[in-house]
Amino acid sequence: MLMMEEPVKTKTTTHTPVPIPQATPQSAVPHSAPKELPAPIIRSEGFCLYYGKKAGVKDISMDIFPRSVTAIIGPSGCGKSTFLRSINRMNDLVPDTRAEGVLAVNGVNVYDRRINLVNLRQQVGMVFQKPNPFPKSIYENVAYGARLLGVRGDTLDELVENSLRHAALWDEVKDTLGKSALALSGGQQQRLCIARSLATKPQVLLMDEPCSALDPIATGRIEELIIGLKNEYTMVIVTHNMQQAARVSDRTAFFCMGDLIECGLTKTLFTTPTIKQTEDYITGRFG
Amino acid sequence: MNIPWRMRANSVFTVVALLSVLLIVASLLVILLPILWRGGSAVVFRGTVEFRRMQLEQFQRGDTAAVRAEVERAAGVRRHAYEIIDRFSAGLDTAGLETKARQLHREFGAQLRNRNLDDDDIFDLRELSGELRDEFLAALESSDNAEALGHLETILSRTDDERRLHGTLAAAFFDMAREYRDVVGRVDLSHREEYLDSLQQVKEAMQNLLGPQSSERLPAIVMEQYGATRWDQAQQHLDHLLWSETWVAVVPGQPLVKTRAPMEERFAGTELAELFPYVRDNAEAMLRPEWTFYWRYFLDDSMSGHYFGGVGPEILGTLMVTVLAILLALPVGVITAAYVVEYGRETVMIKALRMCVNTLAGVPSIVFGLFGLAFFVIYLQPKLGLPQGSSILAGGLTLSLLVLPVIIRASEEAIRSVPPSYKEAALALGASRFRCFVTVTLPAAMPGILTGLILSMSRAAGETAPILFTAGVAMGPIPTSIAQPTRTLAYSSYDMAVGDKMAMLAPHNQFGMVMTLVAVVLILNITAIIVRGRMARKLRGR
Repeated sequence: MLMMEEPVKTKTTTHTPVPIPQATPQSAVPHSAPKELPAPIIRSEGFCLYYGKKAGVKDISMDIFPRSVTAIIGPSGCGKSTFLRSINRMNDLVPDTRAEGVLAVNGVNVYDRRINLVNLRQQVGMVFQKPNPFPKSIYENVAYGARLLGVRGDTLDELVENSLRHAALWDEVKDTLGKSALALSGGQQQRLCIARSLATKPQVLLMDEPCSALDPIATGRIEELIIGLKNEYTMVIVTHNMQQAARVSDRTAFFCMGDLIECGLTKTLFTTPTIKQTEDYITGRFG
Repeated sequence: MNIPWRMRANSVFTVVALLSVLLIVASLLVILLPILWRGGSAVVFRGTVEFRRMQLEQFQRGDTAAVRAEVERAAGVRRHAYEIIDRFSAGLDTAGLETKARQLHREFGAQLRNRNLDDDDIFDLRELSGELRDEFLAALESSDNAEALGHLETILSRTDDERRLHGTLAAAFFDMAREYRDVVGRVDLSHREEYLDSLQQVKEAMQNLLGPQSSERLPAIVMEQYGATRWDQAQQHLDHLLWSETWVAVVPGQPLVKTRAPMEERFAGTELAELFPYVRDNAEAMLRPEWTFYWRYFLDDSMSGHYFGGVGPEILGTLMVTVLAILLALPVGVITAAYVVEYGRETVMIKALRMCVNTLAGVPSIVFGLFGLAFFVIYLQPKLGLPQGSSILAGGLTLSLLVLPVIIRASEEAIRSVPPSYKEAALALGASRFRCFVTVTLPAAMPGILTGLILSMSRAAGETAPILFTAGVAMGPIPTSIAQPTRTLAYSSYDMAVGDKMAMLAPHNQFGMVMTLVAVVLILNITAIIVRGRMARKLRGR
């Protein structure tokens, strides 16, 4: 298992110090070579999403590659959550949304009228900002998505166990599967939500600021989990916390005012941003 | 605003808040306690031997031998009272003697014709009998003791005739005259009319207190077959026996004033005067009151229009109508609320729907009752092949309309207050909107929906007006299907209060019925509150 280390603050600017982990886990992992990139699993080309007349995101073109962690950073209201929620069409809950351009998962445009939303959302799981387990038992929470797929009986038990193990929660809850999920701590709840998403066997896992409601220890465990899951799942994580983006992600996209400013390898972006705006943001001069 | 003033305002607010809470609690106690207390007297009371006899004869309850023995013992004490009355009324009730005298004369004439006697003899004897009869009637009619005695002496002085008539029917005239002479000697005939009236009152009071005498023919109505079954009732009847109430003009031109005088005074100096102290002192021995816990009150059918018996069919009817109404209204209400919250945007239709619901909530219940009569009873039931007339079905449908707005509004609020994050989570896992509603939103909204259910259940159980024309009957058999009408607690309470003097004759039953209604509603509510509490606890994860 990858070990998390306390991030060591390194001075990079005179104003606000942005800590860069000295030995980030991914630096130990061989770099997903930028030369020979695999085919992207999510491809966005000139994607725009409008809330009524107002644009949430404008003209986003970026690729997200399988079995990697992509972090989306940016100031509040920059459209990073909007973009994330477009990938599994959770923005449908907001009335009067309209999409333009292409946002494709596995080559299928998600805003295609003929798309099966149920299938899409099972392929693309989501973890929310605030842990939101159902007011049901731990078992029922994990089993919920699988039941929708028609999984029953022993297979379901196995699936629940596997998902909980994947989410590194099994050892803590294996004796209390019947207890209410709401009795768990915040960090456990969030891991339960991850387990719940994993139970539908998604390819992509979207995380909308998954640690913003958690304390540092719980945050550390979630980050550890994200890095562990990277080998099997594609993850997109929206975060406010730049250290977190630096710690867990392979690639980072910087959004501002609904535009994608810069997208690239995390290491590159954080050390040598090509655009001034990005540099200002990550050094804390702006945002 | 300076600090002391703020603190004073703060404490004033606290005091006002506390006072209003106290006021609510106090008014609740003031309303409920007397009802529960007096209603409780329908269940726990001092039952007399008449009550036990009634239970034995009407419901076959109790130890037959023991009750019979008790009745015998009571009858032993009562006998003396009846003897006093019989002796006294012999002299007063001249109507009977009059009839007897006339009949005697007629029968004597018929008897004469059948004998082989001369026409002259027959004529003579008839003449004689006629004279005796007239003389006796004159004595009966007279309200002056001396005059009556004179007439009687005239009869009795005709010893020759007595000898001549010996062995015939007409000889009875002399016996009757002799008996009546004894009565005249005892009683002041000038008060006879007055005595007769009062005697009637005394006899009625005795009948109410002790029931019919065992020698009398049993009255057809169950209510009249027994005396006072409860000691509190007995004391009222005893009061009627011992005291006479008259309206006296104290000041001319002013309203009359009610005055009470002991009945004993009216009969002062007569044999009957003895009755009053005897009954007063022996009332307990005559009725043998014992503390009774009549728990079967909640199961028994009632008799003689709620005079005896319990409220079993009423409880059953109330539950049936209420449960039916809820079963009909809850699904419709929840589905409507779900549509309004989950599917409908704020369109004109939704706004219109909401306005309709709010208006419906304000419609007086009698309007629902009349609608139910016109639509369900008169129009719909014949269409469904059911007999046209009140039925549990029609009542349930009417009540479901009545409670629908409450259920819709409560459910709407409950569904709206489910955290959107639950819905998001379910949708993100690939649930359809319907699946999401049924598996996540609805369970989370259940406590709030149950609150609406509690409110509507109390309302449905307690409403009278919608039941009035659609489901209620005052009397009748226990229904066996929902196509039949039923008695309900609310309707029977109303019926007892307005129907006849039953509320006055059996106030304990009126209170008992209201208490039962309150209790039924409370029990339904407490059950729902417990269920809701459990659900809410589960939802909170404890």
